[in-house]
Amino acid sequence: MCFNSFFFLFFFMLINFFFFVYFIMNGLSVFFEWEIISFNSMSIVMSILLDWMSLLFMMFVSLISSVVIFYSKSYMNSELNLNRLIILVLMFVFSMVLLIISPNLISILLGWDGLGLISYCLVIYYQNLKSYNAGMLTALSNRIGDVMILMVICWIMNYGSWNYIFYFDFMKNDYVMFIISFMIIIAAMTKSAQIPFSSWLPAAMAAPTPVSALVHSSTLVTAGVYLLIRFNYLLIDMFFFKVLLFLSILTMFMSGISANYEFDLKKIIALSTLSQLGLMMSILSLGFPDIAFFHLLTHAMFKALLFMCAGVIIHMMNDIQDIRYMGGLSLYIPLTSLCLNISNLSLCGIPFLSGFYSKDLILEMVSFNSFNLMVFILFYLSTGLTVFYTFRLIMYVMISDFNLMMIYNLYDEDYIMLNSMFVLLFMSLLSGSFLSWFIFFYPYMIYLPFNLKLMVIYVSILGSILGFMVSNMGIYSLNKLLLSYNLSSFLCLMWFMPNLSTYGLSYIYLNFSQILFKNIDMGWSEIYSGKGIFNILKNYSVFYNIYQMNNFKIYLFSFILWFMILFIFFFI
Amino acid sequence: MFFFILTNNNSNKMFFLFILFFSTLISISSNSWFGCWIGLEINLLSFIPLISNSKNLLSVETSLKYFLTQSLASINFLFMILIKFSLLKNFDMNNIISIMMNSSLLMKMGSAPFHFWFPNIVEGLSWMNNFMLMTWQKISPMILLSYYFNKNFLIFMIIMNLIIGSLGGLNQTSLRKLLAFSSINNLGWMIFSIMISENLWLFYFLIYSMMIFMMISLFFLMNMYFMNQLFINNMNFFIKMNLLINFLSLGGLPPFMGFMPKWIIINFLLINKFYFLTFIFMMTSLIIIYYYIRIIYSSFMFNYFKMKWMNLFMKNNMFLINLSSFISISSMILSTFIFM
Repeated sequence: MCFNSFFFLFFFMLINFFFFVYFIMNGLSVFFEWEIISFNSMSIVMSILLDWMSLLFMMFVSLISSVVIFYSKSYMNSELNLNRLIILVLMFVFSMVLLIISPNLISILLGWDGLGLISYCLVIYYQNLKSYNAGMLTALSNRIGDVMILMVICWIMNYGSWNYIFYFDFMKNDYVMFIISFMIIIAAMTKSAQIPFSSWLPAAMAAPTPVSALVHSSTLVTAGVYLLIRFNYLLIDMFFFKVLLFLSILTMFMSGISANYEFDLKKIIALSTLSQLGLMMSILSLGFPDIAFFHLLTHAMFKALLFMCAGVIIHMMNDIQDIRYMGGLSLYIPLTSLCLNISNLSLCGIPFLSGFYSKDLILEMVSFNSFNLMVFILFYLSTGLTVFYTFRLIMYVMISDFNLMMIYNLYDEDYIMLNSMFVLLFMSLLSGSFLSWFIFFYPYMIYLPFNLKLMVIYVSILGSILGFMVSNMGIYSLNKLLLSYNLSSFLCLMWFMPNLSTYGLSYIYLNFSQILFKNIDMGWSEIYSGKGIFNILKNYSVFYNIYQMNNFKIYLFSFILWFMILFIFFFI
Repeated sequence: MFFFILTNNNSNKMFFLFILFFSTLISISSNSWFGCWIGLEINLLSFIPLISNSKNLLSVETSLKYFLTQSLASINFLFMILIKFSLLKNFDMNNIISIMMNSSLLMKMGSAPFHFWFPNIVEGLSWMNNFMLMTWQKISPMILLSYYFNKNFLIFMIIMNLIIGSLGGLNQTSLRKLLAFSSINNLGWMIFSIMISENLWLFYFLIYSMMIFMMISLFFLMNMYFMNQLFINNMNFFIKMNLLINFLSLGGLPPFMGFMPKWIIINFLLINKFYFLTFIFMMTSLIIIYYYIRIIYSSFMFNYFKMKWMNLFMKNNMFLINLSSFISISSMILSTFIFM
């Protein structure tokens, strides 16, 4: 099953690649329409839009998923029901493809809902309490986005059809488009875990690692960004885009800080994904959709690779995900640490790896165009924070001393996992330059003063030094003292925002309902109905029985009494 | 054959059974109050030999009690007839004398507040005698009631009937007493239907007697007199089902036969805005259904005991039992086809 789906998806990737090159070189885009049913004046039509953007994205999605399925053959080889996981992953890829190629909102909804539902099924795959909670959080946060898209479907019926791509140029200043744009932005924010809805992404790390590599690094969370890229012509110059800029910059910043306090390997990578998502959203809301798309694709490559390396390391550490137990791994597992290093450095934006092309371009565009000081500061600060936590991670995992056990066996020769990582390694090295040659017909004009140009490097070097220093600290260090406990917990727990989605929503209602249940359901309403009435009736019946069990002459005498009473009563 | 069973396999009593039937006919078809009284007397006199069996002390005592109450009621009735003839010249129904006449008739029937003898006597009779007591003996007093009744008085009596019928039955374990209190409750419904129209009373009465017949024949065949005899595990499923359906039908639960007459009465009540009375009808029906369902639920769900030797000569009578279940379930629906 694994091999079959791997080959199928790989072949699919090659087809997409071929068509992508053909389409982009010739400037083609194809719009298929299939009329399913036509009845009186209503017709149901299924349409597919294939232009270079969707083909490129499909190519990347199928590449990553094929590699991940191949990887999971070895990673999940002790799983009895591996076929279920593979089928779920295939359904996920199908939903994603449906989302990518659809120019109308109904098929986007099908893909979007499919993504939400299947990611729920994948997160709860290990059936324990943590996965259950994480799955609930994931599914319900994504559900808000589904509701928003449903409402957009409802509102866009004002224009006659659900093919949104036809309405961008004409209806831009319409009131209805205003509402639609608001809802689309909220939907994208839930899917891509921006600030009010960001609590599900670190929690969703309860999923198996190959699932995280596919879903939470490159495909699910970028669906929101993709949607906004498609809707970009509509949303530029609207007010909500500025709100999105603000929130996504804050997401980027917050997750960068929180990743510095984390000690769980997968959570660090999740928060790093969150930070990069904020970066994508913010550059999108500044008005550069193609750069956002470029960063989306390169990020997908190295983030998936990073997750897969994390999976190998977790297997080797006897299923421990805490980085405090790891250390010095670069000496023992050279190939895996090669992949880890390249993906980490690509994440930081080290020159000429793939991440450099997109990140550096983003930062230079931010500096070149005139944006305000907060945007500027937070962008560069977040870049520095990215390098900070990356180097902290490298120090903890690969450079210090090994912290786990005296006797260990770090097995690096699992070639199934390694081969899949090598494919992504190749792409993570080269996809930056390769994509920039394809996507950008002419390069962006950037003219910056010298120090501003080097600002990236300054921030990166600062971040790396800080990362080195932080990871060297011992037990009795400043950031671990109780003095800064409040600040540390604020920064570590994602500025307490997950409580909005979890504890804050449920505590009041559960508490109240407990009071109601004890006092009313089990209390007063038993006395006033149920038990109380039964007792009353039973007592009446017992009381009546006293009269029933009597001598016969008393009955006869009572008849005479009744006669007299009735006579008097009705006479008067 | 049926008369044979009714008279407890004693052919001497068949003579009295025929006289019993004729006495009712005399009572309801006479054109003078005196003739009615004669019919009632003959009714009493012919019922006493049916229920008394000189070998059984309990049945002697029961027949004596029956004789005492019924003769008191007959004397009363005769007295009131004579007072009416001598003092009242005009035919005006809602006056004091009608109250007295109705009271004596109610005493004959076993309706509240003159009902104390009824559970007692029912406890002492066999099932077939009970059947006669609960169905046939009610015909002539009811029809006489419909000739001269006092509306206000009767409504008061109805309410008392309903309440006593429902509350009294809550604490019973004897099946005979249970059916006695249910009979008192149904008397309330029947008296009200008399006030609506005699046709409706006939309809209610027929359905009621059919339901009572089905139940009593079941109990008679199984020879069950008490509630704990219902919980036998190796009863045939169809018998239990029949029991369930008949109990529910007696209580007036919708798709069964017993719901139909109650529905018509409630329809009349609501159209004519008798809201308080409707409430009382409903609530007491609820209590009655409660204790029927209590019996059936325990009988179906819990296993009490399983008898080692169980002689139930039911095979000859399975047809009757299945037929009665079928009638109870489908009558209401089939009746709509009749009137289409």
